[in-house]
Amino acid sequence: MSGFKQIFMRSVRQLTGRPIYWVAMFALPLFLMLMLTNMMEDGLPDKVPAAIVDKDGTSLSREISQNLGSLQMVDLVDQSNSFTEARHKMQEGKIFGFFMIPENFEQDLLSGKGPTITFYTNMTYFVPASLLFKSFKTTALMSKAGIMLNVAETAGISAETVVPMMQPINITSRGLGNPGLNYAIYLCNSFVPCMFQLMIMLMVCFSLGEEIKYGTSPKLMRMAHGNILEAIVGKILPQTIGWWVMIMFMMSWLYCWQGYPMKGSWWWMTVSELMFVVASQCFALFVFGVLPNLRFSLSVCSLLGILSFSLAAFSFPVESMYGAISIFSWIMPIRYNFLIYIDQALNGIDIWYSRWWYVAYIAFFLLPFTIMWKIRKNFERPVYIP
Amino acid sequence: MGIFIRSYIKELKLISHDIGIILFLAFLPIAYPIIYSLIYNPEQVRDVRMVVVDHDRSSLSRELVRNLDATQEIRIIGYAADLGEGKRAMNSHECYGILEIPEGFAKKVGRGESSPAVLYSEMSLLLRYRGFLVATTNVAQAMGSEILTEKISETVPMAETLISGDPLGVQNVAMGNLESGFDSFIMPGVLVLILQQCLILAIGMTGGAKREKPWLYADIDKATAGGTFKSMAGGALAYLTVIIVPCIYMLHYVPLMFRFPQAGNPWEIQVFILPMVIGSIALGMIFQAACRERESVFVLWVVTSVAFLFLSGLTWPRYAMAPVWKCLSDLVPATFGVEGFIRMNTNGATLAQVSGDYIALWIQAGAYTLIAFLVQRFYVMPTRIRALKEPGRVAIP
Repeated sequence: MSGFKQIFMRSVRQLTGRPIYWVAMFALPLFLMLMLTNMMEDGLPDKVPAAIVDKDGTSLSREISQNLGSLQMVDLVDQSNSFTEARHKMQEGKIFGFFMIPENFEQDLLSGKGPTITFYTNMTYFVPASLLFKSFKTTALMSKAGIMLNVAETAGISAETVVPMMQPINITSRGLGNPGLNYAIYLCNSFVPCMFQLMIMLMVCFSLGEEIKYGTSPKLMRMAHGNILEAIVGKILPQTIGWWVMIMFMMSWLYCWQGYPMKGSWWWMTVSELMFVVASQCFALFVFGVLPNLRFSLSVCSLLGILSFSLAAFSFPVESMYGAISIFSWIMPIRYNFLIYIDQALNGIDIWYSRWWYVAYIAFFLLPFTIMWKIRKNFERPVYIP
Repeated sequence: MGIFIRSYIKELKLISHDIGIILFLAFLPIAYPIIYSLIYNPEQVRDVRMVVVDHDRSSLSRELVRNLDATQEIRIIGYAADLGEGKRAMNSHECYGILEIPEGFAKKVGRGESSPAVLYSEMSLLLRYRGFLVATTNVAQAMGSEILTEKISETVPMAETLISGDPLGVQNVAMGNLESGFDSFIMPGVLVLILQQCLILAIGMTGGAKREKPWLYADIDKATAGGTFKSMAGGALAYLTVIIVPCIYMLHYVPLMFRFPQAGNPWEIQVFILPMVIGSIALGMIFQAACRERESVFVLWVVTSVAFLFLSGLTWPRYAMAPVWKCLSDLVPATFGVEGFIRMNTNGATLAQVSGDYIALWIQAGAYTLIAFLVQRFYVMPTRIRALKEPGRVAIP
């Protein structure tokens, strides 16, 4: 058997023989993928618990309460009597917001005093609060329209004239690619690959670092006849293949079974995902070359891997970050994976617009070659620092 | 000297001499929250780029565009000749939204009809879309009511007095996170999660260290039920001692530094978080069963942070979770820790108001301590003793 084949088979035996690899390469990623997609399967967390504080108690205010209660997004769990009571319920976490109709509401309205409807949303929880905000605002504006219609009619203007006037400027929003604001589509497409990036990087540092820790790296070098490239590729390739299988499963899970938008070409997305696996491994190799210590390289990869969830700007845009921080957004492979996903799967635009992101992957491929000499040195004379 | 005190001192020595564990208990809680908060510290998403396709070219359409540009959320970067050109700008990542104003926009308004315009938004980031939505709704409302008042007084001269000004005000108040900032929303929860994770990671790593070199750390006389419990308690107290400063720093000073909302009583918050710390320490001792090596913790535990973040209900609320995920989230100390901490810190709840979370945390702490005892007594200790007797078994490359 040639040296390369020997190293390859040895690596396969290591991967299949130790439970920790099974957990890290299959159990954890699969569990997380299932959890994230299943948890948000409904798309939006509707029926947000909310309350109404009706201090007026007239037929008009009750009508508004009823309108609010009939909305899909709101679950009126409570009738509170005062602002303080409703605020306490919010602090206790029973409701995410409340809608307040002031005292003498109907009377003030009819006498033209211009009362104010106020709604409170607990912005501590972004998603439910934003949904409540939308429902509350719709209800308030609809009530307002109804009232203005009444007033206009008493003034002798016919409803036909007034109704179209109610909303002179009407801007409709169309969300391209995700019109229903499905939260799962927004989140899983970025978080699941980012989780893969973390595990891919950890596996590279862990498996190579173990060779140094247990002093088996010189043996590995002998098997490769002193060729560091052969040693590394033979060692890592079985993982690459394993991750390729996993990431293809991820693609079919997200875009076939879950039915997330895939407007562009399957071919380019597949290329991106396969390149992404290798780019992540190359990035980790580079880290391992710079810090040949098992624990240190794992720490750095953990730190960067977890920070990637924020740095890669899945939720908070890069252009809004501080300049000095936004630079770091571009050093991780997941950023390019995310950008290609947006262009190719979500928006389905021409590959021309994504050309640079693929080039970035290639840059990651070249990264470890700058540090290979150091990995070789450390492999030949392994020093373990706990 | 009793086993309890001896274990306490021994564990403190182990912690202070192991750079890996120091990293988890000092660097992680001290530096990480700063890095993390800095990423989101601009809080608001401002001036999202938008292109306008104006088929009307009237003074009203120009006024609409000017008003949109003046909002905090939107920045108009220019006009496109048609939708195709706008699309190309969006595809080239120059803008994230296109506003299309149809021909006859101003005329329709003049005739007293409702005049439509369409906003196309790119949907990769929901925060951008949210900004577009808020800004366009506000501008359309404000311009709309002005036009409406004009129109009505034109139609029926006297009606103006009836509908003078606004017949009904509508006002929104954001509670807790008053500025609706992103950092203030996500970070308080993440801080609690970091606290839990750094304890479990550190204890997992000590477990690995003890398993690898039992001759340095393991005492066979602890292998009785009483001995196991006392050494466990001594070890737990050592972590409790070490985590006090990072805990105060993370839950009080980090929010102070980054001006997150701080409406709660800082002492009550520390009292609240105590059972979560105990629960996390016990969970760490259970996790030791899986740590054959010091470095296993990275591979096995780091990624769970993502799962715990979602299980805590910070982004996807717990009331909307399927029962299976809700049950799973009930098992995580950080779930109740995050929930209670946010309510106290951000919404200004008292300890009594979060009693549900507080009780749940104590139940978890009790249950996990019991499980940790069983795991330590019947698995962790025996494996250490076995490893001590047969050092050859330890090497497992």
